[in-house]
Amino acid sequence: MYELLANLWMGFGVAATPMNIMLCMIGATVGTLIGVLPGIGSLATIAMLLPITFGLPPVGALIMLAGIYYGAQYGGSTTSILVNIPGESSSVVTTLDGHQMARQGRAGPALAIAAIASFFAGCVATILVAALGAPLTAMALLFGPAEYFSLMVLGLIFAVVLAKGSIIKALTMILAGLLMSMIGSDLETGAERMTWGVPELSDGIGFVVVGMGVFGFGEILRNLEMTANRDIVTGKITNLMPSLPDLKASAGAIGRGTVIGSLLGILPGGGAIIAAFAAYTFEKRVSKTPQRFGRGAIEGVAAPEAANNAAAQTSFIPLLTLGIPPNPVMALMVGAMTIHGIVPGPQVMTKQPELFWGMIASMWIGNLALIVINLPMVGVWVRLLRVPYRHLFPMIVIFCCIGIYSVNNAPFDVMMTAIFGLVGYWLVKHDFEPAPMILGFVLGPLMEENLRRAMLIARGDATVFLTRPISAGLLAISALMLILAILPTLRAKREEVFTE
Amino acid sequence: MSDVTSDLARSPENQKQYDFFGGITLAVVGAILLTTSFMVRNPVPLTVRGAIVLFIAAGLAVSFRFLDVKNQQDFYGGMALILLSLIAFVASNDLPGMRGFAFGPGTAPRLFAFALAALSLVVVVMGLIVPGPFVTKYKVRGVVFITGSILAFAATIRSLGLVTASFATIIICAAAAEDVKWRETLLWAIVLTTFCSFLFPYGLNLPFQLWPRFY
Repeated sequence: MYELLANLWMGFGVAATPMNIMLCMIGATVGTLIGVLPGIGSLATIAMLLPITFGLPPVGALIMLAGIYYGAQYGGSTTSILVNIPGESSSVVTTLDGHQMARQGRAGPALAIAAIASFFAGCVATILVAALGAPLTAMALLFGPAEYFSLMVLGLIFAVVLAKGSIIKALTMILAGLLMSMIGSDLETGAERMTWGVPELSDGIGFVVVGMGVFGFGEILRNLEMTANRDIVTGKITNLMPSLPDLKASAGAIGRGTVIGSLLGILPGGGAIIAAFAAYTFEKRVSKTPQRFGRGAIEGVAAPEAANNAAAQTSFIPLLTLGIPPNPVMALMVGAMTIHGIVPGPQVMTKQPELFWGMIASMWIGNLALIVINLPMVGVWVRLLRVPYRHLFPMIVIFCCIGIYSVNNAPFDVMMTAIFGLVGYWLVKHDFEPAPMILGFVLGPLMEENLRRAMLIARGDATVFLTRPISAGLLAISALMLILAILPTLRAKREEVFTE
Repeated sequence: MSDVTSDLARSPENQKQYDFFGGITLAVVGAILLTTSFMVRNPVPLTVRGAIVLFIAAGLAVSFRFLDVKNQQDFYGGMALILLSLIAFVASNDLPGMRGFAFGPGTAPRLFAFALAALSLVVVVMGLIVPGPFVTKYKVRGVVFITGSILAFAATIRSLGLVTASFATIIICAAAAEDVKWRETLLWAIVLTTFCSFLFPYGLNLPFQLWPRFY
């Protein structure tokens, strides 16, 4: 305990330098901005802003990128409540009750509760990251290649089970992602794999290229299909403070949302979107008056907002302790870390403690900053929402183009991104979820490396994954999850959750 | 989220047309892959070639109504993924496989390609049996102008510099919106270009060339 406090103190020492506080504020503000604007996800934003961090010191760069991520979770709720379209995909459920509250003239309390819930969840999650960092890092040292492989299988299975839509289609998406990740030089022999002799492909396809193509450009193509029907709640937002009954009603919801969000954030394959869905459904189940949900229940705003923010922060745990990115955004963080010469994994905490603890401390500072940014400035964000999409998307396109180009100074990368944009659009048209594909793509090289190593150590004996206890346990959980998800009764329930 | 405009829905004739062209496309792409498989260094195994021939046959069967597609989304999605795994088989053909108990560079790609093909086959078969939604129309305007603008950026950034490339990109991609207003767009493009040309080379010190290179 004493050590934890000492470490946190050191972290605050790093994070509280004027430079880092400024970067944290910039990150949080940009994140909020992006979160408020519908049509740009946090993934595309981080990818877009990656070049900005090139010139910064590593700690500062990561603090800023983290700020963008959890700032986006805050900002997304504003759009959900006021316009009834999610500013961020993780705040989809907030539209249900949040917008109803706004229509009843209670936009102020809805926004305030969303901010309070996010802040509380953010604080708890920060402590959780700090507390779980050391034990999980110790556990990571027990992990051999077989365990790492099984853990990644578990993560991918989670992504499948928790994704919406057909399970078998999600599985095919994962395999497609894994297959694409193998393009480029082989890790062990250096042989060119599936490059068709194109020299630009010998380094493989960059993650930024795939992520930005599918989630950035693909998203724009899809948004252009939709007619703009923005139902902005006009009228001045007065009375930001929620009443005492409001606070009482949402206290429990915030607590439960935080717990659910923290748990789902840690699990690989989870993340903010799933957490928000799960928290909302759970809240509706335990409520004594479930019929109020969807008609402006304040718990329906508090729980998912707490959950998505908690999950956004705890998803740093697997990345910082095990070196496994649990979701696409974290995969991009891996990219950012590698650019700065940091290899994510258990050694970060021992070798670069100031980076680890500085980032954690900055999360808390960032959460505090977000409350300040969000509530008084709601008017500014609302005005921003009036910007029509036809002005918005050229801006996204040009920033994305410059962002991708500046990673490697390669026009070829920009071209590939255009192709992946078409792939993303096509996938959505055919009702395939792109998220599992991206996760497969990210985990592919790590998975293959560990699979090959495990097989080599076991002298070609494939049963090694089942004879080592930790590995066997992880695989058993994966199998169980998959079976449960395919079973008809649970499937019906799962569909019910997603249609709500 | 599902407020897609109704003009993207397809009439029954249009759906049949989609199946005709979709099947032909699959067959043509399959034929190209089959030809390629004869040109790579190592001979491609007969099983892979057989699978490609079956793939072409399935495409032709769909376009000439021997097979009735019940769920276009699943059928074409699954077929495309099978195609991806067949391409992976042909592309990884010259890579050595298992050496003793060690994985070769080609082992994992073929392993995953096989799993992908098997699962996708299930999706395809389901698309032939279980009725489901049709593929809505594509927004051609968006696809053409957005993709075109990105490609234009890739083509011009090296030679024409950041200012020209971003201005052109913004103008081209703005045309993707149906409600484009040219006067506003022009103004917006000037503002954005100015912003980008100051932020990236000066604000962030990234090595960008601003103006065209004259030799």
